[in-house]
Amino acid sequence: MIESWAARSVRDPVALGALSRVFLKVSLCGFGGGLALAHRIVVDERRWLTEQEFADIVSLCQFLPGPNIVGIAVCTGTRLRGAAGALAAAAGFLVIPWVLGLAAGVLLLGHAQHPLLQKILGGLSAAAAGLLMATGIRLLLPHRTRPAALIFAGLAFGLVTFVKLPLLIVLFGLVPISIVVTALQTARAR
Amino acid sequence: MSGPAVLLTLIAHLALLSSISFGGFPTVLPDVRILVVDTYGWMTDQEFANFFATSQALPGPNMILMMSFIGWKVWGFPGAVAAACATFGPPCVIYFGAYRLWHCFRDGRWQPVVRGGLVPVITGLVIASGLVIARAADADWRAAAVTVAAAVLMLQTRVNPLWLLFAGGALGGLGLL
Repeated sequence: MIESWAARSVRDPVALGALSRVFLKVSLCGFGGGLALAHRIVVDERRWLTEQEFADIVSLCQFLPGPNIVGIAVCTGTRLRGAAGALAAAAGFLVIPWVLGLAAGVLLLGHAQHPLLQKILGGLSAAAAGLLMATGIRLLLPHRTRPAALIFAGLAFGLVTFVKLPLLIVLFGLVPISIVVTALQTARAR
Repeated sequence: MSGPAVLLTLIAHLALLSSISFGGFPTVLPDVRILVVDTYGWMTDQEFANFFATSQALPGPNMILMMSFIGWKVWGFPGAVAAACATFGPPCVIYFGAYRLWHCFRDGRWQPVVRGGLVPVITGLVIASGLVIARAADADWRAAAVTVAAAVLMLQTRVNPLWLLFAGGALGGLGLL
């Protein structure tokens, strides 16, 4: 850690504009694979971060609330240029894509009553719902051999779907119990 | 409810939800739907599903865009800006603060334990969110079949999800749904 900080200070500091441009590219070209693209540019091409630093950032962001890819932008910016870097990276990721996306979306949704567009949006929504469910199932697959994991996934699903409990209550009710159970199982396995 | 109270209600809810959106913003969709469709009637189920689908078909920060469409529907352009800020603001502050503190707990033995406890709950929440969108979007059995087919293809093949999205849109546009 100390070594890499020293190495960095010898090198020229990364320009804030370059940070913004890189994360603008990640945002616009990432299309579902933003993480892989960010890794290729930040680690392989620009060599702003080492493999280990990037992996650390990814695992930190997976722990925290919010869109992970925005977190990767913020943390990369912080690592390279502190608070100004975080702002530059987040602004690059968000501002232009947001303006373009909002304009396109509002234009499109403004005509949502048009019969053809209504049908297209209907099919799009149906497919999007399936993709979201598949994302959840894919996340669960690595844990499928642990009965406790399946039970807690099922409980979370049921409490939201059938009992219609708010997210806050489900999270703070289930996650501590789930962590304690995992800790007990880990301790027993040792 | 009318006037700025509408906007404040939306911002307060989104800011709270984004602060607890572990696993990404999809996990908060059921709560957002209850707020904007059931509780306040700001939009229909169909509009809610349309907003989600459109945001998924556009490049860029999808879920922030979806919340911006909701903000736009509720309070025009200022609503869209406010909704976007409430969605990405709290997580950005948390990311920044946590990264600064990261060296304190980066090697903790508790990390795999917390992950092992947190991830299953999140997966249940994400699947529940998918079902919420499916319920809003699937008007009949044919649309439900598209939902199931998209999920199966996503799980069983390496096809780019964007193609599945556009295939759904094409089926709808051709009047097959």
